[in-house]
Amino acid sequence: MSRRELPGRLGGLALLLLALVAPSFMNVPQTAVVTTATCVALVALGLDVLVGSTGQLSLAHAALFGVGCFTALGLGTHGAPWAVAFAGAVAATAAASVVIGLPSLRIRGLQVAIASLAFQQFAQQVPAKWDAVKFVGRTFDPPRWLSGVTAQYYLGVALVVAVLAVLAGLRRTRAGRSLLCVRDVEQRAVAFGVAPGTAKLFAYGVSGAITGLGGALFALQQTSVSDIQPFILRESLLLVAIVVVGGARSPVGILLAAFATKALPGLLAPHVGDGVALWIPVGLALVLVLSVVGQPEGIGGVLRDVGARLVPREPPDPRPAGTDPVVAAARARSLRLVPRPLTRRLPVPALLTARGVSVRYGGITALTELDLEVRRSEIVGLIGANGAGKSTFFNAVSGLAPTTGSIRFRDAELLTAAPASRSARGIARTFQDMGLVRAESVRENVLLAQGWMASYPAVTGMLGLGASVHTERELRRRADQALELFGLDHLAGERLGDLPYGTMRSVEIAAAVASGPDLLLLDEASAGLTPEEAHALGDRFRALRDELGLTLVVIEHHVPLIAATCDYCYCLESGALIAEGTPTEVTAQPRVVESFLGRGTLEPARTLSESAHVGTPT
Amino acid sequence: MLSSLVVGLAIGSAYSLLAVAVVLVYSGTKVLSLAVGEIGAFGLYAALWWHDHGLLGVRPPVFVSALVAMVLGGLLGLVVERLVMRPLLGRPALDGLVATLAVALFLALLELKLYGLDPFPAPSPVGDGSVQVAGATLTVTELTLLALAAVVALGLWLFLTRTSFGLATRATTSDPVVARLLGVPVNRVYVFAWGVSGLLAGAAAALLANVNGSLTPFSLTSALLSALAGAVIGGLDSLGGAVVGSLLVGIVNGVVGSRVDPTTSAGIVFVAVLLTLLVRPRGLFGSTRVAA
Repeated sequence: MSRRELPGRLGGLALLLLALVAPSFMNVPQTAVVTTATCVALVALGLDVLVGSTGQLSLAHAALFGVGCFTALGLGTHGAPWAVAFAGAVAATAAASVVIGLPSLRIRGLQVAIASLAFQQFAQQVPAKWDAVKFVGRTFDPPRWLSGVTAQYYLGVALVVAVLAVLAGLRRTRAGRSLLCVRDVEQRAVAFGVAPGTAKLFAYGVSGAITGLGGALFALQQTSVSDIQPFILRESLLLVAIVVVGGARSPVGILLAAFATKALPGLLAPHVGDGVALWIPVGLALVLVLSVVGQPEGIGGVLRDVGARLVPREPPDPRPAGTDPVVAAARARSLRLVPRPLTRRLPVPALLTARGVSVRYGGITALTELDLEVRRSEIVGLIGANGAGKSTFFNAVSGLAPTTGSIRFRDAELLTAAPASRSARGIARTFQDMGLVRAESVRENVLLAQGWMASYPAVTGMLGLGASVHTERELRRRADQALELFGLDHLAGERLGDLPYGTMRSVEIAAAVASGPDLLLLDEASAGLTPEEAHALGDRFRALRDELGLTLVVIEHHVPLIAATCDYCYCLESGALIAEGTPTEVTAQPRVVESFLGRGTLEPARTLSESAHVGTPT
Repeated sequence: MLSSLVVGLAIGSAYSLLAVAVVLVYSGTKVLSLAVGEIGAFGLYAALWWHDHGLLGVRPPVFVSALVAMVLGGLLGLVVERLVMRPLLGRPALDGLVATLAVALFLALLELKLYGLDPFPAPSPVGDGSVQVAGATLTVTELTLLALAAVVALGLWLFLTRTSFGLATRATTSDPVVARLLGVPVNRVYVFAWGVSGLLAGAAAALLANVNGSLTPFSLTSALLSALAGAVIGGLDSLGGAVVGSLLVGIVNGVVGSRVDPTTSAGIVFVAVLLTLLVRPRGLFGSTRVAA
């Protein structure tokens, strides 16, 4: 637990204590009001799984609340025991929520929210139709021990606590990390073995299930529902307001916002009059406007800021670059290894073979008929001017680009394999502009990269059962080990986005290594680094190969680094291969020099390796 | 059948005014605005209140109050652009959507607080007469809606394709950063988009409230939903697509809504949106960029 979260935790504890003793201060109508607000709070927590954790917006959660409520009512009136009615409500609402989320399989845009709006529009009219067949108004018959207002109140508190525990479990385990990955770096998620579509539908399902629980509690409490006001569009919009004002992924903030909106007007009305109480939702909406513009992290963000101010901490001391344990070990053993640079390619089998690989986006061809081979334990350099197709090749390997041709990895065809399965096959990569979740800690990011190793079902993780506990412990150990190897262990708890850029890039490599790859694809690892850091990178490349037995493909603009570290080199221009060979051979070719620097700008004798830094890393 | 078809077309015309307002803002700023409906409604509430109660001894006629609603809607659009949307430039698309939702919620709840939940009577700005068109009876309001939607769609199309400011708007749509570098007054494009969308929302509110019989908080947002559904079906970044999609939704609501029931028509619209997003996410006439 980071110290920034302390006030949030204390606030949560205080809230729980208050919730437990509250009925002794409240009369029966007041307790009922708070219980109703608890139902809405559950729905808001469900909505936050989409908004806060996955970056999806649903504008139909009031309608889903209704689905849960009417399912429970329907089952209850037909004689189902309350537990069955609850389970049915959870299942039906989860299913409806998944249906609303289906378009997210096809598009990343906000049009998904429009589908939810259309559902809201449709669903809120259904009870009116049912009225004709006397469905609405039927009564739910709870068991005697659950018919008291106070008992229902405590059931609500118990459900909230249970949901919070499950959500905490979700955040700690694989499924929760996948959702964050989809939220922040969706297009890169497959590189971590996350299938974004599955992750999103899972989020819709969990969100719906929690919402259904709220609906069932509402059905139990109301026993008979004839008014659809709680389920209309206005309430859906209010729910989004509650989540955003409360602060995405901040349960305490969301609970506070839910009670301020739903319980406070009812509790205050007898004392201050309806007129004043009605201003509360208006105020909430105004706060929502202000908080979207000024404080996007909501109440939860304010709590965290207060925490950071109360518990100041020293910034972590930066360690000098190039002192990774893994580099030191590699240096010590360098005598035993094959002397490099090589004058010819080692006769070892190929790990990755690309044959006739082309990538086309509509009419634009980004890569044309590329043939390329990466042999075991090599460091292969991929050079070329901007737009030459280097990153496109990486995208073809990790399944992020529409690719034709053949890419074989360890003697199996890669292009027919699902993109998300490729990290499990032993391929890890970094991105030119960082593919990590900046809002999360360094350790969480490394755990994220190891996603494919966590093979337990998502539900056992959320409930903290069985194999998930052991697996998570093992993954944490691996993550810490990888961080230690790169001299980053002292930063494990830091928020990634707070670290200097060079350190973030190191974390990205550590995360890729932690996923246990055979092949590591590094996209412009030197870009944005200080000269010292870039220089130390060569040692790190060699250490990755010599100590960890990895094979590397590096995209680089830093020619001296390529000359000093690569065994073999491919040069691309406009999507086509124009040269290959050892770095010395390739950088001496006039065509390569021309590709980088243009025709006639240099003395003929001057080679590329003499010009220090070519191309502009972007 | 024919009369419900024509009424559906009229309602669809109102949706298409709102859809054009949404597409205008979406094209300029890539923000999907949920505030359009309430911006128009808020202007109309104020205008109708002025019409009912008078202010400084002046009581404008109904026709003028529709114009007042348009002006207020346009001004409100400008205020929202300046105070809420401009600080959000460059933030994730979700923030923009939530911000417009916040504005809609704030305006609607304020309407609720100021004017109460009771339906506000909304007299027609163009009189209560009716005409026979091809065997169907149409009120003058509905006829005005049809004409206005056609004029607005045509006018906006001419504006976007024939004027230099229209070109600037389209340049901003395709790439705001490059447009700014090329000297396009991007901020003015944003201001224009929000201002005109508010104006259109005011007009749509004045006419639609009369077709619906009255004005209530959230009623224009509810109409906006149909417009958004139409815009998604037609293509979010295509003016013509949004108009066609909205007319389709209006016809479904008009025909199925009156001959079967509103629930079924809303269900059909939901399924249509779902299928569009699953099968052809960019909509009938949208460009592929929308789906990205």
